[in-house]
Formats: sequence, C-alpha cells, structure tokens
Amino acid sequence: MLTLHQAGLTNTPAIAPLDGTIRPGELLAIVGPNGAGKSTLLSMLSGFRSAEQGELHLDGKPLRAWPITELANRRALVAQQELPGFDWQTNELLSLGSNPSKSLVAALLDDLDITHLAKRSVLSLSGGERQRVMIARGACQLLSRCSPTAKEGGILLLDEPTSALDIGQQQRLMRQLRSWATQHHMAIVCVLHDLNLASTYADRVWLLHQGQRIDHGLPNQVLNPATIAKIYAAELQRIEGGTHGKPLLALAP
Amino acid sequence: MIAILNAYRYRMLIPVNRTTRVLAGLTAALLLALVWAAASGALGISLWEVLRGQEDPFSVQVWWQLRLPRLLLGVAVGAMLAGSGAAMQGLFRNPLADPTLLGLASGAGLFVALWIVFFQDSGAGSLYGQFAAGFLGALCVCLIVFGIAKRQGGGSAAVMTLLLAGLAINTLAGAGGGVLAFIASDEQLRQLSLWGMGTLTNALWRTTALALVLIAAALWLLMRSARELDLLQLGEATAHAAGLDASRLKHRVVVATSLGVGLCVALTGVIGFLGLLVPHCLRLWLGPSHRLLLPASMLGGALLLVVADTLARTIAAPAEIPVGLLTSLLGGPYFLYLLMRRNRAC
Repeated sequence: MLTLHQAGLTNTPAIAPLDGTIRPGELLAIVGPNGAGKSTLLSMLSGFRSAEQGELHLDGKPLRAWPITELANRRALVAQQELPGFDWQTNELLSLGSNPSKSLVAALLDDLDITHLAKRSVLSLSGGERQRVMIARGACQLLSRCSPTAKEGGILLLDEPTSALDIGQQQRLMRQLRSWATQHHMAIVCVLHDLNLASTYADRVWLLHQGQRIDHGLPNQVLNPATIAKIYAAELQRIEGGTHGKPLLALAP
Repeated sequence: MIAILNAYRYRMLIPVNRTTRVLAGLTAALLLALVWAAASGALGISLWEVLRGQEDPFSVQVWWQLRLPRLLLGVAVGAMLAGSGAAMQGLFRNPLADPTLLGLASGAGLFVALWIVFFQDSGAGSLYGQFAAGFLGALCVCLIVFGIAKRQGGGSAAVMTLLLAGLAINTLAGAGGGVLAFIASDEQLRQLSLWGMGTLTNALWRTTALALVLIAAALWLLMRSARELDLLQLGEATAHAAGLDASRLKHRVVVATSLGVGLCVALTGVIGFLGLLVPHCLRLWLGPSHRLLLPASMLGGALLLVVADTLARTIAAPAEIPVGLLTSLLGGPYFLYLLMRRNRAC
C-alpha cells in the first residue's frame, strides 16, 4: 500500500501537494491533458524523483528510506515507449531485473499474447509488440521478486501502456491488468489517454491538470463531460448506457 | 578420494553452459596466442629451450626481461581497453562509445605529455607521476563527456554530440601535443615520440608489475558492474525501479575506465579502436548481456592485442611497427563501415 501525505514536487515540472492511497488489488488511472504532469507524478510514485514536499509511505515506511534493491521487490515501472539499449531477445529482456522461473516467463508471455515473440530480438518488433514485452517485463519483476507469502502483490506503474496497441490488444491488456490486480493483489497505476478505457476498466481515477490533481474518485464521477471538456478544451458528448452502464465520452463532430 | 577427483574432473571437462564454453574457448585461444607470441620475435629464441634452461644466457635474459613483461602488458592493456570499451558502450547505451573516440585516451596522452615536458625529474617517482597524469587526464575527459551527455539526455542527437565532443577533445589534445613537442627539449621530444605512437616496447618489469595490479583492480570493478549495466539498458527510470543505483554505477565505471585507460596510455601511448572493435564484434556473436560480454571482451581484447603486437614485432623484423598503427589500420575502416551501415538503417 502506497500512501501520499501532501506529497509534491516544487521544481519544474511541479506537482502540487496531494494526499492519496493506492491499495492492493485496485486499478488506478491517472488522466489529464498533455503536459499535465502525469509522467512526473508517476516518477514521484516510483521514487525516481523523490518528493520535495510532504512524504510518501510504502507499507508504512517512508519511500526514501527503502533501499533501492528492496524497493524493486515491491514496485516496478514501465516507462513510456523507451527503446532498450542494444538488441535483446524477448526472453532475456523479460528477466532483466529479476530471476524468474521458466514457468513464470511462459505464463506472462501467454498472458500478453507474445509467446510467438519469445526468441525474437526486441528491436525488430513492432511498437505494439515491444510495448507488451516491456509490460511483461515489469510484471515479471514484481511476480518473481515478491515473496510468495506476501499478501500484497506490489505496485505496477505503467506510463501509457496502450499507446501503441490496436483496440483488440487494448482490451486484452486492460482485462489482463484487471486479472493481475485481483489474482496477485497487485496495485496497478496506469497513465491513460483514452478516457473510455479509464471509465471501463479503472476502479478509481485521478484527474490531473497543470500539475494539480483537480479531481479524484470513481470514473463516472470524475469523467463528466463538463469538466473534461473544459480541461481538454474539447467538445464532447456523453453517451449513456455504455458497457455495464458506464458512461462513455465521444468527440462531438 | 578418486571419486571426488573424478567428479571435479568431469565438472571441469563438461562445459556447464554457453557462458563457460565461450569463456573457456577464448581463454584457450589466448593461451595459444601467448605461446606463439612467446616463441616469436626478432631474436630466434626457442621457448622450450628457455624453459629447460638450455638457451644461452643472453637469450634467456632477453626473454625474461623484455619479452615476458611485454606479453603480460599486452594482455593487460588489451583486456583493459576492450573491457572499458564494452563498459562505456553499456553506460552510454551506445555501440559507438569507445575510450579513443570519446577522447579519453588522447586526454590522458596530453596530460602524460604535459608531465613529461614540465614536471618530470629523473628520479624514481617519475614513472608513477606518469601513471597519475594519465589517470587525471582520462578522468577530466570522462567528466567533461559526462557533463555533455547529461545535458543532452537520451536520443540520437546526444550520440552525435558525444562523438563531436570526442572529436573536439581529440583535436584539442592533438594541438596541445603539438605545442608541447614544439617547446620540448630534444631528450623530451625523443621520449614523447617513442611513447606516443602506441607501442608495447617500453614494457619493463618495474612498470609492468604495478600496472598489472592496478589494471586487474580496474577490471575487477568493471566485472562487478556487469549485472547493473544490463539493468541500465532499460532506461534510467525503469532501471531505478528495477533496483539500480545508476549514479553509483556511473561513478564506479568512470573511475575504473579512467584509471585503467589512463594507465594504459601512460605505458603504451594511444592504441586505438580496440575498445570499439572487440566488444562490437563480440556483441554480434554473443548478444548484449554484459555478464558474458564484459569478460569475453577482456579476453578478446587481450587476444587481439597479443596477436597484433606479435605481428608488429615480426612482420618487418628486425624493425618494429608500432602496434597502435596496426590496430588503427584495422579499426578505422571498420568504424567507417559501422557508420555507413547505421546510416542505411536509419
């Protein structure tokens, strides 16, 4: 469990102090316009940028007090579309940062529909294929390093995990994330651009604008057309009665 | 007892995995090359006769006092240059990083030349002063290059800037060397030009012994960084989340390469392209993991330098080609080829 107590960043890009809790088993979506500070917030949650105001606590202990290697047992990060240095095989790349069993690797490859890419070199993959490989690596780090007796499966931080995926893959990935969250009691934090994905799959949403979290809560409360239209400077229509009665937002023609 | 011995023997005989196989193969090749190198030279000395004590005293003297330290220095310098090339390529996440290209070697060279011209006295400390100057020079360049790399962030623009910075440093050091040669006395000039071409000729036990110890320490530091260099390939933020303390890794690699390359330059002058050539070829063969690539590069670098030096000693015997010329003749075209291939890929 990760808790924020008035945690924020003062240097640019800044994040205004905020409170919050990220609980095991939930899927939290961070949304907001370009430049709202979503990736910066994610790197603060990860501890890569340490909070300059307030404090973050992971399992009751200040984030900055955790040794880097132990922290890696509890949370993993999948950054935005970064090419790995040099040409790794998918298999090798998956085990960077952990020492996974063969069965775990096989299961993860299967989860993300990339078993056929196991022996391929990562630089030869398409953007969407590579994105799924990187996500599998993050999950692999957590699942192989978390002790099997732990009640919590760690925190998986994903920066725009669907940016290069087609809609079918987006759906499979979001469903997979949900299933990891329930199955392994993992907390999953996703920066998302697609508000309808957030609405359909997230348990809670944080809405960011100019470094400030201006709203948070259940998707159908936060993602209302009036606020969203104002923040994104876009004209929107709300379509009621989407899947499971969750509202969907569409661009007005 | 016999059972234990047998178990041990079979464990040694049956290669456990690919890593062991590759490293064992390279070690064997290096040993063969050493035997060949130990038996060749301007003076026809039979290795067998020397070891049996049947060779004439003069030849024995030449073998023990000149040839053997030279071989060992070749192994150490080759391993260091190629190992530091592999480590720097990992650190910059770029296959074109190399101690010569980035200007480390020429920076060290300039400092050594400064030392020779301005500070050297004929005392016993002079030798170690040269070591220290080489280390400082390499360290300065390393910090400059790092400052530039940090400001540039990642991406291909950063690579160009790094190579251009290396070019600028190389040019600057070259000009500085020219100025120094201009104001140097005849005796200093002779020393400068003997040392500057990149040759293992100056190997003496006195210098080689200390260099071996220090270079071994630097190599050990690099080897300890292998796993972390692998992690760094994920990008800094992701690697941090996977348990990497990137600044500690950078400090360690910078200190080790500066120490090692500085020493190599102080002893042998600039021997170019080894650090580019060896890791690059081995990476094509073995894949990018530093756990195998680093030790393999060290062995491969040692092998290449021992072979090149033996060729340099024997091709035009009794005259001797500076081995630095030979490696540059080999490495320069290969580097151009790499650049051309990269451009086509873009």
